[in-house]
Amino acid sequence: MIDTASWTVAAPAVGSAFAASIVEVVEAFTIVLAVGTLRGWRPAVTGTATALGVLALMVVTLGPLLDRVPLHALQLVIGVLLLVFGMGWLRKAILRSAGVLPLHDEDAAFAKETAELSSQTSRSTASLDWIAGLTAFKAVLLEGLEVIFIVIAVGAGRGLLAAAALGAAAACAAVLAVGAALHRPLSRVPENTLKFGVGVMLAAFGVFWTGEGLGIDWPGGDLVLLLFAALFLATGFGLATVLRRPTGEIIT
Amino acid sequence: MNLLKDVLKELLGMFLADARLTGAVLVLFGAVTASINLGIAKPLAGGAGLMVGCLVILAAVTILQARRD
Repeated sequence: MIDTASWTVAAPAVGSAFAASIVEVVEAFTIVLAVGTLRGWRPAVTGTATALGVLALMVVTLGPLLDRVPLHALQLVIGVLLLVFGMGWLRKAILRSAGVLPLHDEDAAFAKETAELSSQTSRSTASLDWIAGLTAFKAVLLEGLEVIFIVIAVGAGRGLLAAAALGAAAACAAVLAVGAALHRPLSRVPENTLKFGVGVMLAAFGVFWTGEGLGIDWPGGDLVLLLFAALFLATGFGLATVLRRPTGEIIT
Repeated sequence: MNLLKDVLKELLGMFLADARLTGAVLVLFGAVTASINLGIAKPLAGGAGLMVGCLVILAAVTILQARRD
């Protein structure tokens, strides 16, 4: 629980889970919105609810197994996975920020999904509803898997699973509330800036957990996490500046 | 079956999207673990090597992809 961990680890863990979940939930929301707008809300809600049920089942089934894994082994495995995952996000965010890769566009994703669903008009209504529901199901399931990994990765090493899950749930609630009010893709969410920040934090957590798993007694304890984050951030900014092309987004 | 394939693809993609990055991180992890366990480096020096190595890998894979695209 959160009272057993220092806030130096708890705050970045919850913040990372929240920000990363915003990125994933916004992507899933765009597809569910496309399904709901085009085929009605029944298949969209059914697909979403079923996917959330499958995700909940996975958490309930696999969650308790984490308690059986020795802490150092858990920190090692999660640390290395976090390094690969976090540095992957950071690399992509740097390249997008520099204009090497195009920015993710929710309006374009919405248009693409709508066009794909519209192209199936030759099928029967029941078949179209099934395809629409399955599309929503797949989007929520695939994006949800990443959210689950991030929550486990930032929370499991220090008993912060509940806090990290709360951060992710808050992100879902925020996206749903804003999405329901606007009723359009959330294209103004600064997705790449969030991804940049989350990539920095996940990579920093990766070094921290891997080191703890190897038995390294970090000087300053949890505070060293902030130094790691600062080093990844400075390197990320430096690379984005050096590699910047004319169309690059400036991260503020 | 397609759905299962997509789920597996997504899970693998989370960690293997850039094979060079994954490979380099695993090699670095192996080198740091070996150097600490064999007594070649003190744990803290190994930790510093892990941090610096990650920054070098990040810079290398990012620059390589930027040059390629």
